[in-house]
Amino acid sequence: MILPPFTLHEPKTVDEAVALKTKFGKDADFVAGGTDLLCNYKYEINAKPHVISLGTVTELKSFDTTRIGAGALLDDVMTDSGMRRDLPVIPAAIGVISSHLLRQTGTVGGNLMVDTRCFWFNQSKFWRDSISGCLKSEGDACRVVWGAKECVAVYSGDLAPVLITLGASVTIAGPKGRRVVPLGEFYEHDGIKRHVLGEGELLVEIRIPTEARTWKASYRKLRTRESFDFPVLGVAVAAKVDGDLLLDAHVNLGAVHTTPLSRDGAISQFIGKRIDEATASEIGEAVADGLVIHNNTAMTPAYRRKMVAVFTKRCFLDVTGKRAVAETASR
Amino acid sequence: MTPPSWNVIGKPIPQVGSRQKVTGEALYTDDLRIPGTLVGKILRSPHASARIVRLDVSAALALPGVHAIVTGKDAPRPFGVLPISKDEPSMGIDRVRYVGEPVAGIAADDEWIAMEAMKLIHVEYLPTKPIDDAKQALAEVANAADKIHPGTKFGNNLHKMVEQHFGDLPKAFSESFHVAKGHFEYAGISHTFTEPMSAVAHFDRDGRLHIWSATQVPHYLHRAMSEVLGLPMSRIRVIRPNVGGGFGGKSDPFPHEMIASLLTMRCRRPVRITFDREEVFISHHGRHPSEIDVAVGCDKNGRLTGLDIDALIDGGAYGSFGVVTSYYNGVLAQGPYRIDNFKYRGRRAYTNKPMSGAMRGHGAVNTRYALELLFDECAEKVGIDPAEMRIQNALPAYTTTINDFRITSNGVVECIEKVRDASGWKDKRGKLPFGHGIGLACSFYISGSALPIHRTRTPQSTVHIKIDMDGGVTVHSMAAEIGQGSDTVLAQCVAEILGLDVSWIRVKTEDSDLAPIDLGSYSSRVTFMMGNAAIKAAENIREQLRKAACRMAGGEPTDWVFRDAKVINTVDPSKSMTYMEALDEALADNGALIASGWYQSPKLGGAYKGAGAGLSPTYSFGAYITELHVDTETGFVHLDKIWAAHDCGRALNPLAVKSQIIGCVHMGLGQVLMEQWDFNHRSKGNIRNPSLLDYPMLTAKEMPPVDVFIVESDDKEGPFGAKEAGEGPLLPILPSVGNAIYDAIGVRMRELPITPASILRALEAKKKGKS
Ligand SMILES: Cc1cc2nc3c(=O)[nH]c(=O)nc-3n(C[C@H](O)[C@H](O)[C@H](O)COP(=O)(O)OP(=O)(O)OC[C@H]3O[C@@H](n4cnc5c(N)ncnc54)[C@H](O)[C@@H]3O)c2cc1C
Repeated sequence: MILPPFTLHEPKTVDEAVALKTKFGKDADFVAGGTDLLCNYKYEINAKPHVISLGTVTELKSFDTTRIGAGALLDDVMTDSGMRRDLPVIPAAIGVISSHLLRQTGTVGGNLMVDTRCFWFNQSKFWRDSISGCLKSEGDACRVVWGAKECVAVYSGDLAPVLITLGASVTIAGPKGRRVVPLGEFYEHDGIKRHVLGEGELLVEIRIPTEARTWKASYRKLRTRESFDFPVLGVAVAAKVDGDLLLDAHVNLGAVHTTPLSRDGAISQFIGKRIDEATASEIGEAVADGLVIHNNTAMTPAYRRKMVAVFTKRCFLDVTGKRAVAETASR
Repeated sequence: MTPPSWNVIGKPIPQVGSRQKVTGEALYTDDLRIPGTLVGKILRSPHASARIVRLDVSAALALPGVHAIVTGKDAPRPFGVLPISKDEPSMGIDRVRYVGEPVAGIAADDEWIAMEAMKLIHVEYLPTKPIDDAKQALAEVANAADKIHPGTKFGNNLHKMVEQHFGDLPKAFSESFHVAKGHFEYAGISHTFTEPMSAVAHFDRDGRLHIWSATQVPHYLHRAMSEVLGLPMSRIRVIRPNVGGGFGGKSDPFPHEMIASLLTMRCRRPVRITFDREEVFISHHGRHPSEIDVAVGCDKNGRLTGLDIDALIDGGAYGSFGVVTSYYNGVLAQGPYRIDNFKYRGRRAYTNKPMSGAMRGHGAVNTRYALELLFDECAEKVGIDPAEMRIQNALPAYTTTINDFRITSNGVVECIEKVRDASGWKDKRGKLPFGHGIGLACSFYISGSALPIHRTRTPQSTVHIKIDMDGGVTVHSMAAEIGQGSDTVLAQCVAEILGLDVSWIRVKTEDSDLAPIDLGSYSSRVTFMMGNAAIKAAENIREQLRKAACRMAGGEPTDWVFRDAKVINTVDPSKSMTYMEALDEALADNGALIASGWYQSPKLGGAYKGAGAGLSPTYSFGAYITELHVDTETGFVHLDKIWAAHDCGRALNPLAVKSQIIGCVHMGLGQVLMEQWDFNHRSKGNIRNPSLLDYPMLTAKEMPPVDVFIVESDDKEGPFGAKEAGEGPLLPILPSVGNAIYDAIGVRMRELPITPASILRALEAKKKGKS
């Protein structure tokens, strides 16, 4: 498999990048680390004739514990001592993204923007052609849900659920200037549409409220192997606690829906309660209850639903100090 | 017995050529750059089963930069590694039988032009209903033409059926204290070697065809090419460059090798075809998806009374090694335990999938898993420690099995004792807290198939040695170094006999123009057979040097020993000389020293139908223990530690043996815990996970520590006492995990891979069964 040919553009500033994207519109993609985009290009998935590199835009690269430039390398953020001290859940979650090599190339912005995934889509051109494609590629029918008009490809990034539970927002730059959107409102349903970015827009930075440092947070990730694999479930929990008393909490699930999925609504009844093994289990069941998970990634929907309950329980035990917060965010 | 004091044998040395490999200096097939080489691409069928109604390549051929296009009609003669099932065409002729089957080959200036050309080839297919799995293949087919292979003798899509009976099984079972039975299911799995298949073919202006190919079986490739292409073998030259792993996945002649050859014969320019990973998954001939029913009986003392095996295996579209697999699923369960009543039925089905074939532990792995789990069930019923029961039932050394396998050296009991004592088995088994467990299993495997695939009197392995005035020893053999270390074995055997160190030895095993025949790297035959041939050749050279030494210094030929590059006179040390001095004299009336040595298996086995299957001049044995714990909420199995003991006769190179054992553990753990080709009825015959991201093999992070114990039973016919260590060590790891899971949570998992979800299902079923 070789890359389809494209013209590479290397803007120096955000404004130049926006101008290029506005000019080429649907004929162009941004590329940061390329660890997601270029894999898809090799599969001839929605490859464009123009690629605009963000690697040359220095403004995007800097970060501290209040803001992370979209172009910051995953590995740099993961190993940063300030991050480890103030927001340890972020380095922990980054530590389970893909592999050591990819984290030295992949960026935080690219991770938030990682394309949705589905067994029927993430395949070679030859493979897709042999099933006549799907809604998200060359075809006109969904291979997962018969007759579906909307794409159910799964949002499979690890960081977004964590950042959403921490109350992060994103700064977006576009032809009309800059705007700030809560990350929880950034993603939009349908595996094709994915997010609210408009024509010519790009992610500039992620802002993290300082209050997040006073919350306890945990991220647990389900996958077959402890390295390399995309999540087939990610559970992020951030909570304001007083010992085992739950004062406030956010739960967000990755890799079970087309977007990161907030389950705050399912846990409101537990706010103000003390968390022990039994209540944590109840929270887990409540979060799993009624979830619709499709059969389009590794591991069966029934199993993943069960694991939503187990992982949520474990996360709540983590944040209330009942279980040591995992050094890495696995299982 | 204290082993003789050797200089080279038994020393842990890095593989010959390994520094070049780890630094990237070594060249593989795809690295070859012959000027003028074209890129070859294969157009593949998008249908699992279809008639080809029309195939028009004219538009593609007209594309500038396209130099040749070939289709099935250009090479209608089918081939296959086994003479009894030559059923695969180079490219589909009037029909295609699996998604990905080659339909046309293109040679073009570059990959882009080739891909453009593929789009211009017009193929009109008439899709027909595919056969998805082996059970479906059992249905009668009214019209023979509708079968996947119309010419077979069965009325359905069966490819092969074998049956064997020994002793009186019904009687044995009826008198047994317990008969443990189970239906076991196994997903198909892939070898996942590192280097994708690659071939460069060049038909030169003198009319000779040269092929460089990543193959384990250069000799079988040589034969198949000669048949398919209609060239005498003498006009074909097969070169095997460095190969990045095979594990059985490169042990057949392949269509792409024929296609590259056909293309270069058409346009007379070198053509290179290198697969991408998806093509590897399509073409790999991995382990058969299988369903196996097994019953094991025992008496009240725990002695095994009988064994019944019924295996149905999914062969995919063509034969490959499948006839052998059909036998191995049964006959290789004849050890390491004595079993005097035995019945076996093996059936292999054709289906519309990429074909299955030989993979490390060929045919023995899946049945072994079932047998060892049922063995533990028997031990539990009898109330005896499974380790003790295995020792009680072990075949002795130097015996014959009920199906006439000649057993020679046998270290299985020592293997069991080693891992039992090292692991703390007696304090752990049945005594660890719920969720934690420990399990044991044994192995038995051939060390070289005694019967060659083709009827011929040519020895199975021949080695040539040549020494000229520089003293360097050039050793020729076509034994395929595929990363397993056979070149190192070859160098070690010759170096030991001549009293040199390995740096004197130059191993040349790439080129069929230079190297004599060795049948190839399969059936764990190379160390045993090539090693013996090498010793014979080296001894022949040593005789010549001895005679020269006598001429120079007097004395008898038997007076001399060869050591440290010296020829030492044991009677009168003052007569000793250097190797170079002796060589100088030996060359004087010879020119160069040359010698040939060869190996041919002894005549073995019974006279019944299928008696040849599983015959080997010797067998390897082993025993592993696995300790693990199960997360009972998630179903994940966490491996704590493996103790692995393997009887390889003699470790010619303990470093290589240890690496093979650890590599086997890694590969077997993948099959037992996560690997599977995922076929889904909605994916229309496509493998759903044809990439190394979606097809999960263990990474270093999942690998547990492995303590390796090498047991040396000193095989009387093995080279320096050696037998195989490349495949047998795979067998015990899977059932040791299965048995450890039972010890941990009380469920016997009968479906591989054992996924977290299946563990939870089994736990739930167990709960329901009890309440
Ligand atoms: C083998 C493998 C395993 C992986 N495992 C994981 C995993 O476990 N978890 C996980 O989360 N990811 C995983 N990934 C995906 C990927 O490596 C990461 O998500 C990575 O963070 C992507 O960042 P990038 O900079 O390489 O993105 P790119 O590939 O450069 O870009 C990804 C997408 O984001 C867009 N984009 C990038 N930057 C911006 C921006 N500033 N504004 C607007 N759009 C932008 C691009 O146009 C593109 O659509 C894996 C990838 C591979 C190949």
